[in-house]
Amino acid sequence: MDLEFSEDEAALADAVRDVLDGISPPAVVRAVYEGTGDADEVWRQMVDLDWPGLAVAEADGGVGMGFIELAIVVQGLGRTLAPGPFLATATQFAPALQELGAGDLRHRTLGAVARGELTGSLALAERGSWRPGAVRAAAVRGEGGWHLSGTKEAVVHGAEVDELVVVARGEQGLGAFLVPTADVEVTARTVLDATLPIADVTLDGCAVADERVLAAPAPDVEVALGRAVEQATVALATATTATCRRIFEDTLQYAKEREQYGRPIGSFQALKHRLADMFLAVERAASLCWFAALTIAEDDPRRGEAASLAKAAAGECQRLIVGEGLQLHGGIGMMWEHDLHFFLKRAKAGDALFGNAAEHRSRLAEQLGLVAPGVPA
Amino acid sequence: MRLTFEPEVEAFREEFLEWFAANRPTEEEMAAEPVVSSAHLPSWAARWTRRMFDDGWLVPGWPPELGGRNAGPIETLVYLEELSRANVPRTTNPQGLGIIAPSLLDYGTPEQIEQYALPILRGERTACLGMSEPGAGSDLASLSTKAVLDGDRFVVNGQKVWTSGANYADFCFLFCRTDPDAPKHKGISILLVEIDTPGLTVRPLPEIIGPEHPDLNEVFLDDVVVPRENLVGEMNNGWAMANGSLAHERGMVWLGGVLHLEEMTTRLVSEAPDVLAQLPPMAAATAADGIVQSYIDSVAARCLGYRGFAKLVKGGSAPEQALMKAFSSESGQRLALRATELLGHRALDARNEASVHNRTGPWLERYFQTFGGTISAGSSEIQRNIIAEQVLGLPRR
Repeated sequence: MDLEFSEDEAALADAVRDVLDGISPPAVVRAVYEGTGDADEVWRQMVDLDWPGLAVAEADGGVGMGFIELAIVVQGLGRTLAPGPFLATATQFAPALQELGAGDLRHRTLGAVARGELTGSLALAERGSWRPGAVRAAAVRGEGGWHLSGTKEAVVHGAEVDELVVVARGEQGLGAFLVPTADVEVTARTVLDATLPIADVTLDGCAVADERVLAAPAPDVEVALGRAVEQATVALATATTATCRRIFEDTLQYAKEREQYGRPIGSFQALKHRLADMFLAVERAASLCWFAALTIAEDDPRRGEAASLAKAAAGECQRLIVGEGLQLHGGIGMMWEHDLHFFLKRAKAGDALFGNAAEHRSRLAEQLGLVAPGVPA
Repeated sequence: MRLTFEPEVEAFREEFLEWFAANRPTEEEMAAEPVVSSAHLPSWAARWTRRMFDDGWLVPGWPPELGGRNAGPIETLVYLEELSRANVPRTTNPQGLGIIAPSLLDYGTPEQIEQYALPILRGERTACLGMSEPGAGSDLASLSTKAVLDGDRFVVNGQKVWTSGANYADFCFLFCRTDPDAPKHKGISILLVEIDTPGLTVRPLPEIIGPEHPDLNEVFLDDVVVPRENLVGEMNNGWAMANGSLAHERGMVWLGGVLHLEEMTTRLVSEAPDVLAQLPPMAAATAADGIVQSYIDSVAARCLGYRGFAKLVKGGSAPEQALMKAFSSESGQRLALRATELLGHRALDARNEASVHNRTGPWLERYFQTFGGTISAGSSEIQRNIIAEQVLGLPRR
């Protein structure tokens, strides 16, 4: 197993870093937070670079790169908190189209994503759970196609994107439907992290014509959905870990510069040991994120377990990094005018979405046979 | 990045496994003469080391005349993994094979190589490493065992402590002060001292687990006479050589810690379900959550190790390597603690016939033993200082 970048991968990572430092400096993030700017220009630049279609197959109009390359871009986004619908569109919506859709609908939609003409997200979570088994939203056959009902939670960028892949349950099992956000009732949530907005979606009364059905309810849809959710989960874990690395690096720099008692605070052993532990937490999570990304890139059978390992480790990482990062910055870290809080809030959001650390440890415990599997009734 | 090794590496693995199947020591041989110290050489181990040396499997990265086959680092990693998987020790004298013999090959005279290094590699002699002293543990450079050059001989006086395997070793690779006036890092030399030299006394130090088989010792040196030709390398250059010695196989030492952690994880995950089924829901959930955290540590340790290793192989620096010792030893400690808490009173059993050395002892014993990993060879606290100062660049003071 080789978990280090190849020359091409390292070159891509450098290029992504340079681009994002240019187009998404903290001032852009601050403008989004303070309502004095938006993410449109950042998104336009990403489209110019073909990033939305990076991991979309060439046959569908994409660049045809793999999940490692996608994860490298996502790492850059996490480091800079680049605003805009990239995570939702490229790591949630597109994988869902890829894994669940077929034929012309998939081809057309992925092509539009790759060209930057269409943004989207995945409407999956219900009652706090991202498990496919927990889906209770209903899909019933009726006049004009499938009639959906129920409520979806925490749809990333749900109020900003063009379309949603909606997961709902029919008599034969789960199904997946391509729904314009205009056709459903989208309620943007007021959340702390302005760069990763979420919305709740009420499906009641939404009818989906047959030509917009990605996968009609069937027993095997859950497996395909699982593969899409694994990609979204690993991408979010990667972004969250990158955000944590940024917090760590900024905190480290602060500890070297800030002087008290006539010496840098980073020279005190009490702080050195805490910074060493922060570094370890970041490296632990990053290693598992790359392992998980590789299992997806190579379609290894361990990919489900690896996704949970990565998401759990990323969540455990932010738990330490957010608290220590804020504490070690001292009072200045509590100030709105300091940029630190943007990263702290994103790290928390990254843990909470697509199953937090406790949820993914629970899945691992089930997979290891330590506890009985279970979805809340 | 890739999950699998190149086909050549897999071919190397197959070649080793084929040889191993035909040449390995049998379980019966190993059980009849258990290894009781880190310089103990049971007869099966002597034969096994010799077979590996003769057939080029002892140190695959070395040339054939030194017991190798000029293999690359990735091949060596695969070889070490397969040995561990089979639960057969590569050597029963890890300091001899891993540190002392390579140091002699780097710095020793042809006579020293003939008389001391090759016998280790051929499974004829074992050696111990005389470093720590009562006043020089983590701060090794402050050691005070004194060697005075007197014509063609040194006269050595002082005391070593925590010397692994001194009670079974044939000779000691001894660090001593030869220039008391120089700065502490500049007055240290290395001598080869036969254990049966008059004036050298070994006193075993039984440990809190398995006191009947001590591995650590005090070594007292009272006017011990050592021939001048037993000086290794240049006089007063011992500290530089020590850093070279400890760097041997530096790219690989993480693997032992990871394999140990994985072995404990596998054992706990297989033992836990039956115990968890008997616990009330909250206790079971808490215990299961802890076990999963240990499982994550275990997979992460391997991934972190591989990541650092890949960087080293590609010629870069690898900050991950500095993390590995503290991470794997502390992960093992947390795991053993969770196991004892899972098992309740059943964790209290003392060892039975299954020796501590085959690593299947009861969990409370395992837990206490894990402190060997977090205290020795640079304690966890020292590891954090090293990470903070040498990797993260924080000021020393």
